[in-house]
Amino acid sequence: METLARLVTSSIGRKLLVAAVGFLLCGFLMTHLAGNMFLFVGEKAFNTYARVLESNPFLLPIELALLGVILLHAVVALYLNLTSLAARPVGYAMKRSRGGRTWGSATMVYTAVLIGVFLVIHVKTFKYGVRPSPEDLYGLVMSYLQDWRWALFYAVVMAGLGLHLSHGAWSATQTFGIDHPKYTPLIKGAGLAFAVVVAAVFTAIPIWACWFLGGAR
Amino acid sequence: MKVTLRVWRQTGPDGPGRLVSYEAEVPSTDMSFLELLDTVNEGLIAKGEDAIAFDHDCREGICGMCSQVIDGQPHGPDKAAATCQLHMRRFKDGDVITAEPFRAKAFPVVKDLVVDRSALDRVMTCGGFVSVNTGAAVDANAVLVPKDDAEKAMDAAACIGCGACVAACPNAAAMLFVGAKVSQFALLPQGAPERVRRVLSMRKAMDKEGFGHCSNEAECEAVCPKEVKISNIARLNREFIRALAVSDG
Repeated sequence: METLARLVTSSIGRKLLVAAVGFLLCGFLMTHLAGNMFLFVGEKAFNTYARVLESNPFLLPIELALLGVILLHAVVALYLNLTSLAARPVGYAMKRSRGGRTWGSATMVYTAVLIGVFLVIHVKTFKYGVRPSPEDLYGLVMSYLQDWRWALFYAVVMAGLGLHLSHGAWSATQTFGIDHPKYTPLIKGAGLAFAVVVAAVFTAIPIWACWFLGGAR
Repeated sequence: MKVTLRVWRQTGPDGPGRLVSYEAEVPSTDMSFLELLDTVNEGLIAKGEDAIAFDHDCREGICGMCSQVIDGQPHGPDKAAATCQLHMRRFKDGDVITAEPFRAKAFPVVKDLVVDRSALDRVMTCGGFVSVNTGAAVDANAVLVPKDDAEKAMDAAACIGCGACVAACPNAAAMLFVGAKVSQFALLPQGAPERVRRVLSMRKAMDKEGFGHCSNEAECEAVCPKEVKISNIARLNREFIRALAVSDG
């Protein structure tokens, strides 16, 4: 029990929780991205994929577990950020970076908030939105993504997600103590590549829907 | 050459503070920034005013006593240098130079630019040492240490405990300091007997002092006057995970 207590009550332990859950969420992102590829194949393929997914009896427990994982990531990270705010009650009149920070690391909180707001909107519109017909998730997705304002919103959020991952993926490995003079630069590169690929492919969907299928509205 | 100094003046720990401007004549660009503060202080004392309080001791980058944030960077703009190693040739005529104390809840301001960094000492008392029986010195070759480990331990031991890592960290975390102190023993056989207790105890003390959490932004590494690497933070994380796994508690 003391080990568990040390994990949840220490700053390093809490970071480990955020990092571990972050890795799980990276796994979810890859699965989601793979599923979304059916959008490029066509209406029939995507709707079949959606039907198979929704008919899985384990979908609800998995969704609830995913919600739990997302909330754990967000709540523990928020708590850590609040303790850090308290750790410097009086700020600097002048503060300059020496180059350690990156755009990704400096904007983690902001991109996190952006992704959080997006998740609520995303689930509300696509999971609980009204479909043209009960089996036509493709039609619902296209009705939004072919509107250039929605497409732009998705593109901006995915850029934010990429920025978040550009620091988060490497940072999580460092938190797990993975460090090597030869392989750390490779891990950093792989984290950055993962961020770019995830953001680019997710962004390709609204761009493709909006400007290549039926034109932007 | 003339510069304008904007210096944080604060009468005491609870007193209000503000930036006060002083026009300063720089007689030689080879003088250090601290020597310029000495010169300004002589003028203030001659006028019957309160001198600017600032920490300093060896003035050769070894002791870790100087502790200012100059123009927004702990120890000023030079890489791998403490405040005392900053010279006026780094600045131009007419420059405005801002000097503030290290900012962290764990480093309360004592006066002006002086902060109390005892929090780091208290963390050290919780495990930043090895316990050895006194007596005759053991043979130097009795315990073999791999050369690479000795080098890494020495690099970690280069930490002078100045607290610039805390001052630079966006979260006011002390992970580079604690990482260096845990690493210098974790890498050596002499540190092995107290390895688990050390990391658990120093981590606990670090959190208790009110430092923030590490978000791996590497600002600490960038400002460290002794170039201590964030590899030591990764090692601290590894030591903590290992301690969680093997601890009997």
